[in-house]
Amino acid sequence: MKRRDFLRVLGILSGSTLLSSCGSRKTKDFVSSVLPPEEGVIPGEAYFSPSTCAECPAGCGLSVKRREGWPIKLEGVPGHPINDGGLCIRGQSSLTRLYHPKRVEAPMLRNGDGKFQAVSWEKALSLVSESLAGSRDAGRKNLFLSGRTTGSLSLLIDAFCGKLGVERLPEFEVYSHSAVAEANGLLFGERDIPHYRIENADFLLTVGADILATHVSPVSYTRKLSRARIRGDFRWIHAEPHLSLTGVNADRRFVVFPGREAVLLAYLLRQVLERGPRRHGLPREAVNALPRFSVENASEKTGIPAEELAELSNRVTKARFPLVIAGGISTSHRRGLEVAVLAGMIQWVTGQIPGLVDFARNEKYGGTGTFRDMEALSARLSRGEAGVLFLSRTNPVFSLPAGFAFRENVRKAKLSVAFGDLLDETIKEADLILPLSHSLESWGDVEPRRGVVSLVKPALASLHDTLSEGDMLLRLMGAVSGEGPATGYREYLFAEWTKRFGEKGKDALLRDGFVEESLPEKRVTLNGGKASAFLKETAAEGGEPKAPVLVLAPSLRTFDGRSRGLPLLSEVPDPLTTISYGRWLSVSPGTAKALGVKDREEATVSSGDWSQVLPMKIQPGLAEGVFVAGRDFVDSPPLRTEERTGEATWYLEGIRIEKSGKVAAIPVLSGSPSQQGRGLIPDPSHKDERHHHGKESLYPEHEHKEYRWAMAIDLALCNGCSACVAACYIENNVPVVGKKDHLKGREMSWLRIEPFYGEAGNVDFLPMLCQQCHSAPCETVCPVYAAYHNPEGLNVQVYNRCVGTRYCSNNCPYKVRRFNWFWHLWKKPLDRMHNPDLEVRAAGVMEKCTFCVQRIRAAKDRAKDDSRKVRDGEVTTACAQSCPTGAITFGNLLDTESKVYRLAHLTRAYRVFEGLGTNPSVYYLGGAKGGPEREGHG
Amino acid sequence: MTRSVRKPAILLAVTAYFGVLLLIAAGLWVSWQRAGIAPDQPIAFPHTIHVSKLNLPCNFCHIYVDRSRHAGAPSLTTCMSCHRAIATDREEIKKLTRHYEEKRPVEWNRVYFLPEHVYFSHKRHVKAGVDCSECHGKVGTMKKIRRVGALTMGWCVSCHRARGAPLDCTTCHK
Amino acid sequence: MDKPDKLAQVEQDVLSAMKKPGLGYLAALGCSATLFLTLLGLWGYQIHTGMGVAGITHPVGWGVYITNFVFWVGIAHSGTLISAVLYLFRARFRTSFNRPAEAMTVFALLVAGLFPLIHLGRTWKFYYLFPYPTQRMLWVNFRSPLIWDVFAVSTYLTVSVVFFYVGLIPDFAIARRYKEGLAKRIYGFFSLGWTGTRRQWKNYNQLYLFLAAFATPLVASVHSVVSWDFAMSIIPGWHTTIFAPYFVAGAIFSGTAMVITLVVPMRKILALGRYITDDHFESIAKILLFTSLIVTYSYVVEFGLAWYSGNPFEMETFRYRALGDYTVMFWIMIFCNSLAPLTLFVRSLRRNVKYLFVLSLFVNVGMWVERFVIIVTSLARDFDPYAWGTYTPSIVEVGITLGSFGLFFTAYLLFLKTLPVLSITEIKEHL
Repeated sequence: MKRRDFLRVLGILSGSTLLSSCGSRKTKDFVSSVLPPEEGVIPGEAYFSPSTCAECPAGCGLSVKRREGWPIKLEGVPGHPINDGGLCIRGQSSLTRLYHPKRVEAPMLRNGDGKFQAVSWEKALSLVSESLAGSRDAGRKNLFLSGRTTGSLSLLIDAFCGKLGVERLPEFEVYSHSAVAEANGLLFGERDIPHYRIENADFLLTVGADILATHVSPVSYTRKLSRARIRGDFRWIHAEPHLSLTGVNADRRFVVFPGREAVLLAYLLRQVLERGPRRHGLPREAVNALPRFSVENASEKTGIPAEELAELSNRVTKARFPLVIAGGISTSHRRGLEVAVLAGMIQWVTGQIPGLVDFARNEKYGGTGTFRDMEALSARLSRGEAGVLFLSRTNPVFSLPAGFAFRENVRKAKLSVAFGDLLDETIKEADLILPLSHSLESWGDVEPRRGVVSLVKPALASLHDTLSEGDMLLRLMGAVSGEGPATGYREYLFAEWTKRFGEKGKDALLRDGFVEESLPEKRVTLNGGKASAFLKETAAEGGEPKAPVLVLAPSLRTFDGRSRGLPLLSEVPDPLTTISYGRWLSVSPGTAKALGVKDREEATVSSGDWSQVLPMKIQPGLAEGVFVAGRDFVDSPPLRTEERTGEATWYLEGIRIEKSGKVAAIPVLSGSPSQQGRGLIPDPSHKDERHHHGKESLYPEHEHKEYRWAMAIDLALCNGCSACVAACYIENNVPVVGKKDHLKGREMSWLRIEPFYGEAGNVDFLPMLCQQCHSAPCETVCPVYAAYHNPEGLNVQVYNRCVGTRYCSNNCPYKVRRFNWFWHLWKKPLDRMHNPDLEVRAAGVMEKCTFCVQRIRAAKDRAKDDSRKVRDGEVTTACAQSCPTGAITFGNLLDTESKVYRLAHLTRAYRVFEGLGTNPSVYYLGGAKGGPEREGHG
Repeated sequence: MTRSVRKPAILLAVTAYFGVLLLIAAGLWVSWQRAGIAPDQPIAFPHTIHVSKLNLPCNFCHIYVDRSRHAGAPSLTTCMSCHRAIATDREEIKKLTRHYEEKRPVEWNRVYFLPEHVYFSHKRHVKAGVDCSECHGKVGTMKKIRRVGALTMGWCVSCHRARGAPLDCTTCHK
Repeated sequence: MDKPDKLAQVEQDVLSAMKKPGLGYLAALGCSATLFLTLLGLWGYQIHTGMGVAGITHPVGWGVYITNFVFWVGIAHSGTLISAVLYLFRARFRTSFNRPAEAMTVFALLVAGLFPLIHLGRTWKFYYLFPYPTQRMLWVNFRSPLIWDVFAVSTYLTVSVVFFYVGLIPDFAIARRYKEGLAKRIYGFFSLGWTGTRRQWKNYNQLYLFLAAFATPLVASVHSVVSWDFAMSIIPGWHTTIFAPYFVAGAIFSGTAMVITLVVPMRKILALGRYITDDHFESIAKILLFTSLIVTYSYVVEFGLAWYSGNPFEMETFRYRALGDYTVMFWIMIFCNSLAPLTLFVRSLRRNVKYLFVLSLFVNVGMWVERFVIIVTSLARDFDPYAWGTYTPSIVEVGITLGSFGLFFTAYLLFLKTLPVLSITEIKEHL
């Protein structure tokens, strides 16, 4: 009896320790607000509002999840004409830009000794307006340079420049795609990037265009590609000189000698002309001017095996809706224009304009300038012509070659005014910094594709003393004219929208977050004269970059480097190399052997008088003599500008490599690039029955009455883009731990993308998360039932019951459990991102994927309100929601009508390590990317 | 000889015995501390009048109680809708009016608070027909709100057990 | 010398060990105590900053701490073996070892018991591991080998403490005679009024026999349970049925080695050569050799199992164990545990106490390394190749390991000066 009491006391004491761990007593969250909250907003319930992502020019539609007024998660808007529900890794991470601890919080003026000091907006604006006038009188030109700008803001900038006599310069984008635009201008009189309707093609040839990661509108293209692939009768071949995420996901990947893409396309064009499908002809002189290549010498020139070439040309000629997309690396060298022109001609001859290549809805890159424009600007600046120089949302100091001396020349402007949110290289050079509000703090709209207008709507009041660009310009105009701003930007926009779409349209825009105007079909015709003239005066080959070459590739995680500052993006590893933090230089195994460099050994890359030290990463599947580095890994490389297109070449030619023998400490998260024949991704897909003895148990089987949550992941669709990983991090308050812990292998990601390389250098991606096993090894070994099986088939981890023996993690065959080695801190105000539906795990406890149990709980709560069961598709996990390819499906396995049930019972469906008898709830759909007939591909 | 053995033995036993009692007392004291918390509030709001005298239903002020996990505190506009006219001379009401006019929200001191790792929904409990008083006691009789329920896990579980409410950990642990 | 003088002689010899300590002793005690304090300090630091200060990581969630746990539990075993099992077998040579061996058991278990606590992510919640009734309806998971551990080790500790104490009772009584003042009272208290009457001796012997019989099965059970921490998992290299006997043999092997390590210097310093003879050492050496052979056999069997299984996971694990990142450790283990002891086939070496001492040190090292190899290599290379990783102990782990030796030797040195280091009564019996 006494013992009993004693034990109860122990119980109570432990209970009290539990409660004392609670902070909510201190936090004053039980508040009588002065006014009732806005309509539809209920404290404790999440609510969504539309907006648009501003992390790259693609302009994907956002649905901002808010709790108690704070944005805590970004999701793609289903049905949005650009991203249709998907959102990429950068988009997900955009939230960390909003809450970034290092944001510029107020206008900053450079004082005498070159230091920045905060000033009031009034002071800043008046200073600008004075120097505008001043420099005009001094005969200097006021200049306005911005990143790609569309929609009302672009109009406002025009108005602003017109009113204040400022010259608006061509927009600066590192990836201006000017070669393609140039070619289309020359062939069809449309200097722009058309909208490619990949979903309707039955054959796709992409030449250099990195459509899955960085090319023009990646999420949009990915979605379209998935639609085509699901349809089935679709083949995709990709040709590139290096190795990109896009490349490894194509059904077939050709490695072309750097700069020889034109030969390939010339050969194909001729094939199409001779064997069809030709719907339009070419003028005779054009046909004659078109260089002739036999299969053999085409193959010998491009480096693609002859039979492959023949096979390729068969496919193109047999296809009913063939689509050729050239771009990126393949249009960014001396023959770039030829490549683009020939691609355009194939599109024309195969008659896929406007069917697949739609100029009516072009991607609005017309106003985007080139490197040559920047050269000109730099020259003007150096001559001291510039008065006030506005630099908005652009970072030329970082992106331009050192040769342009842009850094120095910016200083020559009388007053350089930079609009931005983080202190990047360019802003640091400016005299005056005007802090921009995040897109989630401002009103606006964008028109990323003609006829598609997407709403930018504030989800919270500005965190800091910042303004949206629109408000800034309006107030400047007010300050100059002296009668103060005519209207706020919001009013301005509402007026614009009503003018353009009418009241109804405006309301639709505000409701749905986007408007898609119906546009008349645009028929373009080939300008035969120009085409043949062009072909006459140029050749498909010559002037190829001298080997060895260094390719400066765009980066999945930072685009052109603009997203470098975001903490989450360096935490999520690059899917091809699994390197999280740091820079590296990819090198083919062969070349590495020839140079005698070890993996991660540092080497000095030099070209001319430029040089940089980078660690080498041995990258299977890369061509010999081709080195690849992310565009943002290389500091002001000496890029040459291509004369005719003004596009910067992405090559550094004839580079030299000196190895240092020093192995750099960069975290490579993968323990092995190969799956060691363990059949994690069986191909051809088969169920792994090896040493699978029937399971006996002393314990009763788990019962699932209403729900058994399960997931199906289609590996044929997954392209490793890692959007799901970023989404998971943000949804589940997964801590960002940094390089030090990554080097120890202590990353905390609940979901990871495992790349596995085959002999052919092909890559298969396996998203690995908690498999929610039905007979889970982790559960039986937990001494305190912190890990247990719940009635809905989840392996639940009760954090505050966990004592931290780490036995569960040891015993997990999938190694998906993460241990909190330390107390993790979110630097303010990043802690605002916390999802209040989860606790932030304390040090010493194990955590793991929960199938987003908080979302399940919410869905069941809703269902219970109108006393029904949760419907199929009503609840989905963060990863599935974010996936641009739609590879992930989540649902109730007991519901035989559910999609996940259907997928789980396909013959392609298998589970990893089925032989262990763990009986997981995550089903993978195996099988080759391009359906059954993926030849030579693993 | 044998005595020299027994003496210390007895001593030991006695101290042990009292030690245990002391521990028990300490434990119970801690548990009692959990209940009966009654902090002063920025405005001494008397539930006695509003609940017992005026018979206002709980969700007249706590408007979210059947819609959200939080019951919610009334916005000052709700208060002022009556107190513009009523009892305006009282000290506490003057405080209230000042708050309202200076647009300062009132930050109440929590009487009922749960650890970060607990998911609790007022809505579910109210819809399941749990009467407010079962956890919050007869607030109508409290001039100052005092905590009634212990809010320990055992306290939650025993009620869940009694009512056949779900006992799965995920029901409450997040 | 006639009998009574002899008896008196024994008492003096043994109890003379308890005379005022010399400088050497104090120095030794000081060192071990400091080591133990560092352990406490580092442990505090680890609790405050988080487990991250240890080298353990993902996927290697267990490292030096668990290695130490298994090692110390192993050390504990031979104590029980020598005193209880050999008592039942009436092995005479036991009398000269049992006291130090039993002491060793108790202290080793105290040390071992620390490590499960040290390796907990949330040490302050250790009591979750005990089944106690609460309002919260929480219970421990009896399917988890870790819970079996809790019971196995605590049972073992209790039994060996009692056994140790009971063995001491008559000697306390003797010590009481030689002591004055407070010491006398203390020894008096612990001798529970022992007067050595025939009745007392009768009951005493019954009790001692009973305890011996009770303790004996624990030798097998406890370390079997410990081995199941690994064998019950699904990790290749852990999940095998031979683990229980394999570990028990290993435990006795390492324990015996530790006995030699402790008794050799003790005999020299306390001049007990008369009671601990080379014959005794030879017998111990035989046990050492025998268990070494069993352990070696287990090594071979392990590889055999992996090889014949044709299971790619198992095969890779053992290839990695022998040739992977930890190959050096592996071969140290083979040398210390399998090759070096073979020399004991030579009689002269068995009787060479210096040699035995050195060898015993090798075996201690070897057995520690064995546990390390088993734990770390299996975790470093299990099923998913993406999650493969390696583990290197951090400075904190090293410090805590040394600290554990500090605690052990502190306890042992105190034992030397406070309790009769040999069982006086038993030696008398055998005179």
